[in-house]
Amino acid sequence: MKMKKWLAFVLAGCMAAGCMTGCGNTPQEGTAEEGSSAQNNTESSVESSTGETADGADAEKVKLTALISKHSLTKDVNEMEWLNILEEENGVDIEWQQISADWGQKKSVMFAGGDIPDILVKATNSTDFVTYNGLFEDLAPYIDAGDMPNVSRMFADHPELRALSTDENGAIYGIPNYRSLWPKTNRVLYINQTWLDALNLTMPTTMDELEEVMLAFKEGDPNGNGDTTDEIPLDFSGFPTFVLGCFGVPLMNESDGYFVEDGTVKNFRVDERYKEFMKWLQKLYSEGLINEEVITQDYSKFQSLARGEGKTAKVGVTLGWERGDRFGTEVADQYVSLPALKPHADSDESKVYWGYYYDNNSVNPATVVLSAKCQNKEEAVRFIDSFYDEKVSIQVLFGGMNETDNCIKDNGDGTYEVLPPADPGIDPGTWKWTNSFADYSPYYIADDMKDRLKMGTDMQGVLEEREPLEPTLSMMEETCESYPAKFITYTSDDNSTLAMNQANINNVVDQTYAAWLTDASRDIDGEWESYVKSVYDIGLTQNLEIRQAAYEKYMQSAE
Amino acid sequence: MMRSRKMRMGLSDRIFYICPTAAAVAALIMVLYPMYFIVIASFSNSTMVNQGMVTLIPRGINFYGYRKILERSDLWLGYRNTLFYTVVGTMLNLAVTLPAAYVLAQKKFKARRVVMTIFVITMYFGGGMVPTYMLVKSLHLTNSILTMIIMGAVSVYNVIIARTFFESSIPTELQEAAELDGCSHFRYFTSIVLPLSKAVISVITLYYAVGHWNDFFTALLYLNKDEYQPLQTILRNILISNQAMAGTTGAGEGSCAQQFADQIKFAVIIVSTVPVLCIYPFIQKYFEKGVMIGAVKG
Amino acid sequence: MARKMISAFRKDWQLWVMIAPALIYIIIFCYGPMYGIQLAFRKYDFSKGLTGGDWVGFKYFIQYFTSPMFWPTLRNTFVISFFSLICGFPAPILLALIVNALKQKKLKRVVQTAVYMPYFISTVVMVAILQILLSPSKGVLSGLLKNMHLVSQSTNLLGTPGAFVPVYVLSGIWQSAGWNSIIFIAALSSVDGQLYDAAKIDGADRWHQVMHVEIPALLPTIVILLIMNMGRILSVGFEKVFLMQNNLNLSVSEVISTYVFNVGVTSGQFSFGSAVGLFNTVVNFVFLLIVNKISKKAADISLM
Repeated sequence: MKMKKWLAFVLAGCMAAGCMTGCGNTPQEGTAEEGSSAQNNTESSVESSTGETADGADAEKVKLTALISKHSLTKDVNEMEWLNILEEENGVDIEWQQISADWGQKKSVMFAGGDIPDILVKATNSTDFVTYNGLFEDLAPYIDAGDMPNVSRMFADHPELRALSTDENGAIYGIPNYRSLWPKTNRVLYINQTWLDALNLTMPTTMDELEEVMLAFKEGDPNGNGDTTDEIPLDFSGFPTFVLGCFGVPLMNESDGYFVEDGTVKNFRVDERYKEFMKWLQKLYSEGLINEEVITQDYSKFQSLARGEGKTAKVGVTLGWERGDRFGTEVADQYVSLPALKPHADSDESKVYWGYYYDNNSVNPATVVLSAKCQNKEEAVRFIDSFYDEKVSIQVLFGGMNETDNCIKDNGDGTYEVLPPADPGIDPGTWKWTNSFADYSPYYIADDMKDRLKMGTDMQGVLEEREPLEPTLSMMEETCESYPAKFITYTSDDNSTLAMNQANINNVVDQTYAAWLTDASRDIDGEWESYVKSVYDIGLTQNLEIRQAAYEKYMQSAE
Repeated sequence: MMRSRKMRMGLSDRIFYICPTAAAVAALIMVLYPMYFIVIASFSNSTMVNQGMVTLIPRGINFYGYRKILERSDLWLGYRNTLFYTVVGTMLNLAVTLPAAYVLAQKKFKARRVVMTIFVITMYFGGGMVPTYMLVKSLHLTNSILTMIIMGAVSVYNVIIARTFFESSIPTELQEAAELDGCSHFRYFTSIVLPLSKAVISVITLYYAVGHWNDFFTALLYLNKDEYQPLQTILRNILISNQAMAGTTGAGEGSCAQQFADQIKFAVIIVSTVPVLCIYPFIQKYFEKGVMIGAVKG
Repeated sequence: MARKMISAFRKDWQLWVMIAPALIYIIIFCYGPMYGIQLAFRKYDFSKGLTGGDWVGFKYFIQYFTSPMFWPTLRNTFVISFFSLICGFPAPILLALIVNALKQKKLKRVVQTAVYMPYFISTVVMVAILQILLSPSKGVLSGLLKNMHLVSQSTNLLGTPGAFVPVYVLSGIWQSAGWNSIIFIAALSSVDGQLYDAAKIDGADRWHQVMHVEIPALLPTIVILLIMNMGRILSVGFEKVFLMQNNLNLSVSEVISTYVFNVGVTSGQFSFGSAVGLFNTVVNFVFLLIVNKISKKAADISLM
């Protein structure tokens, strides 16, 4: 009996659902039509108005849709006052679609399905323009016609950015960004000064001395908690590329191991200097100086370990972006940054480098695009361009300059100041990611802004900590060739070849690296030749050819 | 002689009852410890958790992860949407799946093999994400709550499970008797088969309901409107992807973010799973013995 | 012929009505988009429409077959899923029998509810827990195993290639055995009580009842699930492998899906992904057909 009632319920539910299918479509089509007619209305109203919408009556605003692929920390963009003001100023009303997870998967169906919003922010990369040819509007004509003055200014200041964004046919689908404020390298080698003092050690000046210091860290009890085994002399995550620079590889905007030397594209994974570096790392590991979990730990654990236990630090030497970020609040003040150390006392100092990545830190291609199907291109183009205005750009990156957002202060004399977080419990980095579009967004922060904008304590720290590295990085700018990987584009066929080969190369290279590092019985010298051959054969030869040709072509066009 | 045989049986039966109890208790501990760990990790200091310092008691207690989740204004909307998709979607699933399974369990149904093959092929071959999206778009189902209910209306896997149950657990004599009485398929299905199949219906309900509950992919692909988003989408949006951003691009998220990311990871599990755990006991009671075939037959 | 069909339909019209919703759904939503399979044989070109690109035949298949990663990925995928099946398949059956044999109602309910909870742990957290529990220095579980001398002191369970498959498989069992046992528990609950009584009268003890009443009652479900699982022999879930992967275990952890991801992540390789996916599917399907055939011959139970 009971069962029957239940079944009836199910069937009724099913019928209801069926009915919904039946009637569901009609109202939806209705709204779609309404939508398009509404669009027509706004279009005509725009024509009638002179484009001036100072009073901001809703009816006169042009409605646009936009999508932003944002960080999960970032708050609802509709709550960002600076953005509301920007929309207001441009006479547009934007319906934002905000995505902070799984954008890659959604993107492939959305783009292939062909229906995209008018404007996409932080949602595209250069290969999308090749793959989805025709989906996006070519913005080159607008720029050339003077419709995008701010973008034009950026391209005039930095012609390489225009080259970066222009495809073989002269079209510009995505506008890049540029910021001058960021440092030339993302990683600094830190050493625990408190530990050095506790053991009466002097600051190491060579890698050999560093090794001695780390041995002392391991043997002694520098953190003074009575346990001599809990100190980890050296920790890093993945492969310590930056330190490889000290062993003589000019890592100037290196990418996937590729760098340029004497006009030739090379890969350090098959370089003699990498071999020497690996032998050194293997020795350190076998001496117990490197965290035994260096390969297997995940990023959370890697970060947590260096934050110590209360005031007790656990790590002696490590790489990081910024002290507060790397060591948390309790032990950060124990660490100081090291310069680029030469391997041995007699090494040639002019060949001691560090990982230099200014291109990576300052430029992102294709940060904003316009749909080719957009109904109000004129307004959309103007709106996009407004992001590149000087005052707007710093707000895009750091948060609003107004009473509500309270992220930046305008000093009124062309100088600005990033304010400390309004919530004292939050660090400046997190605050930035919460209140702004943050990195990878459309902005242009010109070179002279460096002197006019006072950044938050986190970024000040970042720059200060890099001062010991500055001589090396400046020297690299003078003497090394940069590999402009970010500015070189490939045909879609080359792209797939490169990707396929790189997947194969990485497989061999990553495995061999981990095995050599952790297993002292592996004879690097003995295995070297066959390893190098296998990497070349599995695809490096072909990739170097493609990259060399592209590099030469780029250098010619740059001249 | 009789006596000794009885003794032996008693002993073996006793062993029989001890072994499963011991195994069950062992399984219980194995399962419960990690679950307990997730609970304490969700409100312990994440740095200590990652360092392996939190094993039995929570340390550095704070509720940031939960606060971050609960302060989302759209969380309750997400719960409501998911509840709706789950209830209505599961009803549709059952209404479509059970009759189909019944039909495919009919040995006399001529097209059985053909239909079955048609079904099974789809478990393996599919057109892929993009063509499916195009289809849904052409049916005007994108951005509609109907998509959340219709997509996945039939899971062939569940059809097969239900069919197997109908075939193996419902005595064929019952149907023969019903046919002799001139009972139609509709009547036989609704008044005999369904009441006898509470156990499998419960299982399938659970499978479908949990599928709807955990589904974020359909929403991800087909829904753009915020007000339709299910719980899982909202939770995934809160999860901070744990990548070494600072290392690769010089874009430090800040230390707070990284620490809380780890906590949110655990708290999300609690927030999304507790409601599901609550429905299990209701379904469980249909697994109890004694309500089944014997009763009907008698 | 036609008349025969019509008469068959007339006889079975009620059955056709009952299966119609499912059949229609399958035809529209599963067969509708199936034209997309040709993507594997075409060079994807957005401007010409989804399947308007140039016909390239088996180019992408050959690209995969001749790739140096073909055999390693195929082997790794197969090994992982083979052991998952061998060890993972009996676990829920055993669990169901254990739960069914419990006398105390309360314990039974608690166990039943508890064992299915791990199913709801997301993969990300599952792997994070493994990281914490198996850490060579501080991990609770790795410490336990070392104290019991099951693994040597210096072993890093997260990095040893030999440990990858066991860790993957056992954690998989831990996570899903409870959930998968539900169907078996349900099947056991519908065993006719009279069968137990009959067995008791025949003097069968509890062990015999398991062997002669319970296992036969589960058999159809077991066989059908086995067939369906065999049809997944080349499908290893991407996320967990990807998250558990590191440079030390790469030689055994690079599977087809992670490889395709690595190749495709930098360039929109639709066609290559489709081709590898199709290859995967075909292998799976062949396995399914073979096992289905065997089971039909041996036990007269089959999927189709």
